[in-house]
Amino acid sequence: MSEKNSDNNTPATLDSPPVPGRRTFLRAAAWGGGILGLGGLAGYAAKRFSGGQPARTATPPLGDEFTYDVSRFQKSDPALIRYEEVTRFPCGLERGRNITASADGSIWVAGTGGIRKLSNEGKLLLTIEIDEPVYSVVIRKTGEILAGMAGKISVLDGSGNETAIWSDYPDNFLPTSISLVGDRIFVADAGNRVVLKLDASGNKTGIIGERDLARNIAGFMVPSPYFCVRMAPDGLLRVTNPGEHRIEAYTFEGDLEAGWGKSSFAVEGFCGCCNPVSFDIFPDGSFVTCEKGLPRVKLYDPEGNFTGLVAGPDAFPEYLKAANAGTPHSLGSGIYAAIDPTGRVLVLDAVGGTVRIMKPKD
Amino acid sequence: MAEPSSSINRRELLKSTARALGLLGVGSGAGLLSAREKKSDTRWQINPDLCIQCGRCATECVLKVSAVKCTHSFGVCGYCKLCTGYFEPEPINLDEGAENQLCPTGAIKRTFIEDPYYEYNIINDLCVGCGKCVKGCNMFGNGSLYLQVHQDRCLNCNTCAIAIACPAQAFVRVPVGKPYLLRGKGGAHK
Repeated sequence: MSEKNSDNNTPATLDSPPVPGRRTFLRAAAWGGGILGLGGLAGYAAKRFSGGQPARTATPPLGDEFTYDVSRFQKSDPALIRYEEVTRFPCGLERGRNITASADGSIWVAGTGGIRKLSNEGKLLLTIEIDEPVYSVVIRKTGEILAGMAGKISVLDGSGNETAIWSDYPDNFLPTSISLVGDRIFVADAGNRVVLKLDASGNKTGIIGERDLARNIAGFMVPSPYFCVRMAPDGLLRVTNPGEHRIEAYTFEGDLEAGWGKSSFAVEGFCGCCNPVSFDIFPDGSFVTCEKGLPRVKLYDPEGNFTGLVAGPDAFPEYLKAANAGTPHSLGSGIYAAIDPTGRVLVLDAVGGTVRIMKPKD
Repeated sequence: MAEPSSSINRRELLKSTARALGLLGVGSGAGLLSAREKKSDTRWQINPDLCIQCGRCATECVLKVSAVKCTHSFGVCGYCKLCTGYFEPEPINLDEGAENQLCPTGAIKRTFIEDPYYEYNIINDLCVGCGKCVKGCNMFGNGSLYLQVHQDRCLNCNTCAIAIACPAQAFVRVPVGKPYLLRGKGGAHK
């Protein structure tokens, strides 16, 4: 028995399977390809959009015990505020790290971007562009500028031209504060957690604050690059011990004479990992201190008793906003203060990028 | 001209159906493999510089206990005696008493190294990824504590439930060969 194939009239027999015609073959191939494609699409979609995604179950929100809340410390008592703001202006730097006033009353700020000299009205008097962050700046009586950077101190003339580089210092040298005492220079080296004593040419002549339990010196605890040294009118150096929340008094020979400061979030204490981050000393020996985390600029008498606020946390709304948001973290978010020749307090807010001039309330 | 007959017998029908199902299966398999291959190139991770420690990592993960945990970069840590990631803002004492600890689940271990330094380690089994300690560390410290998706727990969902809920868009896809975004030179995933 034989029959015709419907497509091409080729004979088909029962003995051999029917040979599909070209049209039948193409149609079957198209169907097969389509089905294969559909399957592929279905598989891909299943995996990409639903596969491997476990069903979610509703999770209750976290309780209060999971919330970090220091808002009660971010408000200050108006009765404690002893200063008022005269003016404020941009510091002109990407990230300020130090502030000082020269004898003529000019304001100098240093940080990421170099050094800026500003007038009391905020007018830019001099721009010194430096590619690396400047951690400290001080102006000599000669008008020379000492700029502390990682690994070195750069000596600049009054116009900002580099005249010398002092770099014969220990590894990790990070000069976050420089204090001038006559011909002597004291440098707070945050990288090595000591104060270096230098001569007028920058040669190292001594070290202050090295751990020496026989001399009752536990050493400085400096968790982050905030470490400050100043000369007090009583003839002793004052150095922050930020990890211990203290300001300590040392002789030029490195003997620890006294110290004050206590750990507390309350307004009279210092809190966080490394506070105070900076300070300056009035001619009567009293202190102005600065803190990060809770941005506070505070006043202490020469014995370290809290006497009032220059500015409380609520005076730094941009800072608090950034701090409460959780980013950026507190590295590079210091508050710095310097006392100008007229007794006013200059405050550099690294987060807000401003300099404020504060004067005592009448 | 007569129309070709379109009727098929049962055997042909079964044969065609089997063939079609086979093709569909092969296609699905190929599709699945293709999708899997694309996804396995990357993993979910948190950019610590964008994270705002909102707490959603602890509540939004499809896992019962989140795949997000606190991570500690020892090279960034100050080994502080008063760690603001470990202690309550006003601790009664600077010791390991539960009443002084910030972490509600006790997931940070404090170990004395030498006066005045202490080491802090995260106990992963206890950490729920709430970010409370991270907030304390970021606000006052060096930011050595931060949240990371732990890849040994993460299911690498196609659409991460935390990423959808993250208000800071801190969830990103990272290459499978470098699945952590660690801070500092000494970044350590412990």
